[in-house]
Formats: sequence, C-alpha cells, structure tokens
Amino acid sequence: MVERENTRTDDVPLDDKAKRMRDLLSSFYNPDHSSAPKAPSNYENLDAIDSTSFDPDHYMNLLVQQSNLEGLLRRHVEMAAEIKNLDTDLQMLVYENYNKFISATDAIKWMKSNIVGMEANMEQLLDKIMSVQSRSDGVNTSLFEKREHIEKLHRTRNLLRKVQFIYDLPARLAKCIKSEAYADAVKFYIGAMPIFKAYGDSSFQDCKRASEEAVIILVKNLQGKLFSDSESIQARAEAAVLLKQLDFPVDSLQARLLEKLEQSLGDLQLKTVGIENILRESNDPSKQGKAFESIPNTGHEVSVHGFAEAIRAYRVIFPDSESQLIKLAQNLVIKHFEMIEQCVKRRISSANFLGALRTIWTDVLLMDEVLSEAALPDFSLEAGQVTVKKYVASTFTYLLQDISDALLKVNVSPKEAAEEHPLQVALEASKKTVLQGSMDLLLDFRQLLDDNLGLLVKLREFIADWVQEGFQDFFRALDDRFLILSGRKNSTSQDQGFSDGALGEKVLVGTVLEITASFSGGGVQGDENGHAFVSGEICQIFRSVSETLLHHYINMRTQRVSTLLRKRFTTPNWVKHKEPREVHMFVDLFVQELRAVQSEVKQILPEGLIRKHHRSDSNGSGNSSRSNALLDDKMSRSNTQKARSQLLETHLAKLFKQKVEIFTKVEYTQESVETTIVKLCLKSLQEFVRLKTFNRSGFQQIQLDVQFLRTILKENIEVEEAIDFLLDEVIVAASERCLDPVPLENPILEKLVQVKLAKSKERSK
Amino acid sequence: MQGGSSGIGYGLKYQARCISDVKADTDHTSFLTGTLSLREENEVHLIRLSSGGTELICEGLFSHPNEIWDLASCPFDQRIFSTVFSTGESYGAAIWQIPELYGQLNSPQLERIASLDAHARKINCVLWWPSGRHDKLISIDDENLFLWTLDCSKKTAQVQSKQSSGMLHYLSGGAWDPHDINAVATTCESSVQFWDLRTMKKTNAVERAHIRNANYDMKNNHILVTAEDESGIHIWDLRKPKSPVKELPGHTHWTWAVSCNPEYDGLILSAGTDSTVNLWLAPTSAEEEATSESIAEPPAQRADPLLNSYSDYEDSVYGLAWSSREPWMFASLSYDGRVVVESVRPFLSRR
Repeated sequence: MVERENTRTDDVPLDDKAKRMRDLLSSFYNPDHSSAPKAPSNYENLDAIDSTSFDPDHYMNLLVQQSNLEGLLRRHVEMAAEIKNLDTDLQMLVYENYNKFISATDAIKWMKSNIVGMEANMEQLLDKIMSVQSRSDGVNTSLFEKREHIEKLHRTRNLLRKVQFIYDLPARLAKCIKSEAYADAVKFYIGAMPIFKAYGDSSFQDCKRASEEAVIILVKNLQGKLFSDSESIQARAEAAVLLKQLDFPVDSLQARLLEKLEQSLGDLQLKTVGIENILRESNDPSKQGKAFESIPNTGHEVSVHGFAEAIRAYRVIFPDSESQLIKLAQNLVIKHFEMIEQCVKRRISSANFLGALRTIWTDVLLMDEVLSEAALPDFSLEAGQVTVKKYVASTFTYLLQDISDALLKVNVSPKEAAEEHPLQVALEASKKTVLQGSMDLLLDFRQLLDDNLGLLVKLREFIADWVQEGFQDFFRALDDRFLILSGRKNSTSQDQGFSDGALGEKVLVGTVLEITASFSGGGVQGDENGHAFVSGEICQIFRSVSETLLHHYINMRTQRVSTLLRKRFTTPNWVKHKEPREVHMFVDLFVQELRAVQSEVKQILPEGLIRKHHRSDSNGSGNSSRSNALLDDKMSRSNTQKARSQLLETHLAKLFKQKVEIFTKVEYTQESVETTIVKLCLKSLQEFVRLKTFNRSGFQQIQLDVQFLRTILKENIEVEEAIDFLLDEVIVAASERCLDPVPLENPILEKLVQVKLAKSKERSK
Repeated sequence: MQGGSSGIGYGLKYQARCISDVKADTDHTSFLTGTLSLREENEVHLIRLSSGGTELICEGLFSHPNEIWDLASCPFDQRIFSTVFSTGESYGAAIWQIPELYGQLNSPQLERIASLDAHARKINCVLWWPSGRHDKLISIDDENLFLWTLDCSKKTAQVQSKQSSGMLHYLSGGAWDPHDINAVATTCESSVQFWDLRTMKKTNAVERAHIRNANYDMKNNHILVTAEDESGIHIWDLRKPKSPVKELPGHTHWTWAVSCNPEYDGLILSAGTDSTVNLWLAPTSAEEEATSESIAEPPAQRADPLLNSYSDYEDSVYGLAWSSREPWMFASLSYDGRVVVESVRPFLSRR
C-alpha cells in the first residue's frame, strides 16, 4: 500500500488524497456503503487497510512472516506517517463541517425575521380587487340596453339596402346590357336569385318580372354573341359560360352550333367536289401540275382553314364536346376518301390521285393542329390504306381490261384489215399494251412511292406490298383471261371454221411468249424497285399457259388436217380403186394447210438456230431440186423394198432400227411447231391407212401421194428423221393393208411426181 | 415416265387390234385376242395368266377364217365369244364356241354357233350386256343397230329389232350400259347417241366430234367416258349432257380406247396411237359441284390426274382390257401383236 501510495503520489498526489478523503467521508455518512468492499478475500488483500473487513492481527502475522526486520521498521515508519496524516485530515473535515453549519443557522434566522409582515399586505390587495369588479359590473348593466338598440338599427339598415338593390336591379341590368357588361349583369342577377325565389311571388313581383325581362334580353344578346362569327373566340366562350351560369339549356345551343359546323362541312365538301371535277377535267397532262398548285390554294384551302378555325372556336366554347367534333372531323375525312374512291372507280391517273391525296393530307394536318385528340392522321392513314389499296386494285383491273380489249379488237379486226401481217400487227399491239401498260403502271406507282407526302410515307411499305400483290394477281388474271379466250376460240372455231380462232390463238401464244420473255427481265427490274417479285412463279405459270395455248393451236391445225384426211379415206372405195394417174388433191390441200401454218408461225415465233443453217445450204436454188430428186430416188427404192417385204422382215427391221421418238416436246420455234404438226398429221395419215383395205391401185395411189408429199415437205420444211420414218410407215401400213401389194414402178412414180411438181409450180407462177 | 418392263409380254404372230377379258372364267385371269392379217391365216388366242402371275400361257390357239376387227367374250360363258371379221371386201360377224376338250386336239376348230349375217354394211362391233346373263346381243354397223336374240343351245341368232341411225350418222362403235339393260350408247362422227332398246328410239345425245371409243363406268351410274381423236378423254354425266364433267388431256396423238376399272372408282385406262397406255385417276362422284367453273379454273391448280404412262410399246395400242377377276390387272395389245399384262397395284397405294 505504501508502495502504491508512493508511486501514486508522484503522479497525482493531491487528487488521490482528496479522493480518499471523500471516500472516507461518504463511508461515514453512508454506513451501508461499507459492505461493498467486503468482497475481496482476506488472503489476497491483506494490505487493504481501508476495507472494513481488515483484520489487523492477521495482517500483523502476515507482515511479520513475510518481511525482514528492516522491512518491518520501514513499514512501521510508513504506518506512523500515514496515521498522522489521517488525523490531520479528520481534524480538517470536522472543522469545515462545523463552519458550514454555523452559516446555515445564520441564514435561517434572517429568513424568519423577514416573513412576519406579509399577511396584512395580502388582505389589503384582495379588498381592492373586489371593489374594482363590482364597479365594472355596474357599468356593463347600464350600457346593455343601448347596445341592443344599436344592433337592431344596423340590421334594418342592411335589409333596407338589399331591398333597394333588388328594386334597382332591372335598371341596373338594363344599364349593364347597354354597356355590354354582361358578366356583371349575370353576377347581379344570380345574386338576386335567392330573394326572387323566396319572395318573387309576393312583394318583389314587379321587380322580378322586370329583371327577368332584362335577363331574357341578356340571354338573347349572349346567344347572338355566341353565334356571331365576328366576335372574338374569347368573347364567345365567355358568352357560353355566362349562358351556362344562367341555367340556359346549353346543350341545345351546342347542337345548333354543331349543326352549323356540319353545314359548313357540307359546303366544304361541295367545294371539294368542285375541285375534284376540275381535277378530272384537267386530264391533259400539261395542265395537271398547274391545276394542282392553283386550285387547292384558292378555294379549298381557305374553306378548310375556316373549318379548322370553327372547330377550334367550338372546342374553346364547349370544352367537353370533343367526341362530337372528332366524329365530325372523321366524317370529313371519310367523305374525302369516298370521293377519291369514286374517282378511282372512274380511273384517274396517279398524278391526279396523288394530288387528291395531298389535298386530303393537308386538310388532315390542319385539323390535327386544332383537334389532336381525334388522332386524325391515324384515322386518315387507315382510310388512306383502304383507298390506296382500292386504287392499286382498280388500276390493275383497268390494265387487264385494256389488254383484253386490245386482244379482242385484234380478234375482230383482222378480217377487215387486209394487211399483210395481221398477226404480227396484233401481236405487236397486244404485246405493247401489256408491256407498256405494266411499265406505265410501275412508273405511276413509283411516283406514288417517291412522293414525300406524310400519308404516303407511312404507307410506303404497304403500297409496295400491294403493288406486288396486285401485279401477281394481275398476271394470274391475265393468264386466266388468256385461257378463257383460247377456250372460246376453241368452241367457236368448230362452228365457224378455224382460221379466226387459230388466228386469235396464235396471237395469244405470241403474247404469252413475249410476256414470259420480258418477265424474266422484268423481274430483275422489279427487284431494283424494291419489289420482291415472285417472278419465278409467274414465269412458270405463263410458261405452262403458253404451252397449253401452243398445244391448242397445234391441235386445231391438226384437226383441220384430220378432217381432210378423214374425208379422203372414208369416201372412196379403196378396194375398187383405179390406177393412179396423178397425185391426189388432198396432198395439195394438206400442203396448203401447211403453208398457212408456216406463214402464221413465221410471224410470231422465233426461228430456231438449225433452220438458218439449213437455209443457207439449200438457198442455192438451182441444184436443190436435183439433190432432192436423188435423195427421193434412193428413198423410194428403199420404200418399195419395204413394201414388198414380209411382216416379219419389217419387224426385224424395226428391231434393228433405233426406235424413233416421234413425239418430242414442242419448242417455241417455227421449226418445232411446224414439224410437230407435220408429224401429227402423218401419224393420223398412217392410222387412217391402217383402217382401210386397199387393192393394188389403191396402194399405189397412196405410194404416189406419199412420194409427192415427201418431195414437197423436203422443199418446205426441215425434214427430220422422224418425218422420214413416218412417211415410210405410211407406205408400210398401206402395203400391210393391201390385198395385192405391188408397188408402182419407180420411173412411173418419178414421172408422176415430176408432172405434179411442174403443175404446182406453174400454178404458183 | 419410265416405260416399265414390269409388264408380262406375249407375242402374237401377226398384227392385232382387239383383246377381251374372259369375264366368265372365274378360276383364271384370261384374255382372248385375235389377229388382223389380211393375207395370212388368222388366229384366236386364249391367253391365261399363270398362277404365279409371272407368265402368260397360251391356253388355246384356234384358227379363224378371216382377219378379226372386233372380239368380245361372252360375260356368262367362258367358251363363247363373238368376232367381227373382214375378208377385205366384205364384213361378217359370228358367235363362236371354243370346242370342249380342245387341249387334246391338235388343231381344234372353233364351232360357229351363229352368224350375225343381217348386215349389209361394214360391221363395227358386237356387244354383250356386260353385267351378266342376257340372251340379247347388239351388233352395230355403219348405219344400223341390230338387236339379236341368241339361243346358244339351239345355235340360232335372230334379229329381234333393227334401227337405222339416221341420215349422215355413220356409226363407229358403241357401249352397253352395265346399269341398264335397255340402254345402249353408240358413237358416230359428231355425237354419242343413246338408245332405248325396248322402243329402239333415240333418248339422248352428247354432241361431240370424232369420238373413237366410249365406255360406261361400271361403278357409277350415268357416267360415260369417251375417247376422242385429238382432244383427249372426256367424262360425261349423262344427266348433264351439255358439257363434260371432266377433261383429261389424253394422248399426244389420238386416244383410241378408254376403259373404266370395274372395281376402283375413277381409275381409267386409255390407249393411244402414240404407243402409250395411260393410267388416270379421275374420280367424278366427289366433285360434281365443281363442274360449272371447270373451264375458268386454272388447270395447274389441280393435282395431276395422270398416274402413270406405260410407254414400252413399239406401235399404236388399240386393244385394252381390265381383268374383271383381278381388277388391278389389265391387258394391252399393240398393233404389232404384242400383248402386255400389267398390274396397277403400285399406283393404287398412292390413293
């Protein structure tokens, strides 16, 4: 403890001292507190002298045991010094306490002497207050009556003033009306209303009547103001509000105003109709542009402006009437589009159409400014879609009509038009119609697409789509139309003879071919324009159509020859045929038919490559007949041999001969069509021969006819293997069906053929 | 289309035009065919399809006095058939009976039951009623229609009635309605005429030029199929004779013969002079409502009715016959005397 004391006194000796003092003091005043330091165990804190549980004996023993003498002595000195300190401290404390106690006693003494005189003063104060209160009560009661009176007088005065106001009301209203201070007038009247309601029937009757009259005038004036277009919108709106305040049935007013608007709408439409008429009249392309710029600027735009203004006013006046207005505006747009649709039905150029659309769009924009809630642009977009679609559709229909008209005209005219190449003319005409028409159409739509009109910009993609669709449908329809036309030709041809039908047919074939050809090119062009054409599909359709038409044509031609052959083979009695003297005239007819085909085909179909080559060969006309003769000679010999041969032999021959493909696919060349027709006719000839039975002369007649035919054919068309083969086959068939197949001697055959050739040459000269 | 060597072939010695299914033979699939040779000895062949269906066996070979232009097997007696023949200058028609025990004889002779010798003109065909036993026969020549009463046991044939087709109508052939014992169709140059055999009066006509062949649909009443030289095949509903129910393109050259399958609806065979046989599927019953606009309708929209084209022939095909015993088999005969029996089974499964 001493050690600790020492070490501590070095740092904070005073504080420690004071603290210890305080502790001691507090333990003195608070005995319970002493129990707290009991906790430390006896063994551990032997030197805790300050605690209450301090055991001096034990401490002594421990000290004696632990320390040496020197330590004990030093301990003793320390202890003695401590005890001395404590004694002085205690003395100091006692002294201070005593001092404080004395001063407190002094203060109490002084207080006691001061309090004694207070009570008397208080009682005095109470008395005074009491007297003041009684006095004020007296004053109050004395003034009460007078105050009541004054208040009553005041009320009366107010009442009187109000009465005065009501009596003055009519005059005031009149004055207000005169000075057009309608708002004040309405305020006054409304102010007076409750009174009129309460007393209007009795005391203020006259007054009420007078003011009501004034109000009626007021209302009339207000209405006038509302309907007069010259007033400012603000004034009109105010008027409407005032009228509403006056409980006037505003709805009917609104309706009337709406009617007026509708009327003006009607006027507007009348005007636009006028414009459309002008548009239509100015179909002259040079004037078109001008017409568009000038006309809308004058009449139409002004009226639309007026309408827009009116709507704006109306909206201000009747803020809650949007739905009606929207309906109205939409009506306007609808009517516009209807008008265009009607025009579209009557076929207008795209420029016209564009102009009309533009007019509408400007109108719509104008109205949109005024009435944005109506979503007019969207609305008109929808309507515009429908219209543009219809326009596209109708354009295509017209084009289709044009083309079929052109075709029909062609079908009718050739008889009268004694031109040299009626087919070619017809073909050109129809081709031109189709190509030119579709080209124009594309240009037109191009124009539509290029225009920067807001409406169209939005619709651009749609338009492109529609145009594509339209083209496809158009070509499909065209295809159908061709088929129908060809079908009709087919049926009529049977009654009237074939040439007309065949002619028309031919034109169709040519046209279709041209379209097919131009279309493969056109598809690419379309792509450039941003039209993803399904040109492949259409090409395919057209190709198949042209194929059908070509077959129609070939059929028709072969049918003619067939009837010719049928007559030839059914009429004579072949078993009793006389010796052949000359080539039968059916060959002439056959050749004539062939020539007709040739001339028709030449006009329309392109030449094949092979033909050119052949021509240059045979154009050295001098030797051609000779070489032909030589060939014929060889042929005829082989024929006669064949004719003589037995069936088995022919079978064998056929076996070794390569099977000749007689019926190959028809191509779109002159040669292909010609040879196909010839082959079909020869096959028919063979079939007819097979159905008959011949005597020797009959067989020889056939032989002669075939021989001559062979010569003629060689001169005229490119004779391919199949034709040769078929000619042989005819002779074989005849020999098979002959009771006595002895062929004509070759020289005789040759001579007869030459005679016939000379004769036909002579005739042609 | 591939020619298909699937067919079973059989060669006649000479050229031939006609083949007929032996309908009365219920045990075998057999056909009768006769040759057409002006100067040689003509033959009638009885051909039978072997039980394995892989071979054609000649079951009987009979000499026939003249070249055969038409041959029809009796639908109720397999040994009886009719032929129309020509000597080159004159025509005749006869009913023949195949002799019994023909297998044992070396050169069996056909027994002529009756001669239909009332004709003065070129005879075109002899018709049996296709649906069963009936004692009447029809023969058609260029101008007349004869109805015969045939008595096989007494071996007589008598003309029961006769009707001229009228001026300028050259008859070319005919067909007996399998659904109506009294109705016969005859073809002539410009039309198909329909006759009532009780009154021998014309009842109806379809105006159409150049009809080669006509065939009644065995399954559907009122349906007649015609083949024309140039314009293909037409299917007619006889209640609406104005316009055909359906058109099929036919052949590259003439369509010579048509035959409706006796069992499968809408299955039609046609033979043409372009050396092909075409198999068509053209059901009529389901689309009767679509007939009016059939012309306007683009043909590309419909499915191709052509199921197959058999082109493995060397010459024009004139003879065509379905087997009634195995209705998926048919026999075709080309002019060079080749019989080909084919099965249409592979195409039936497609339906």
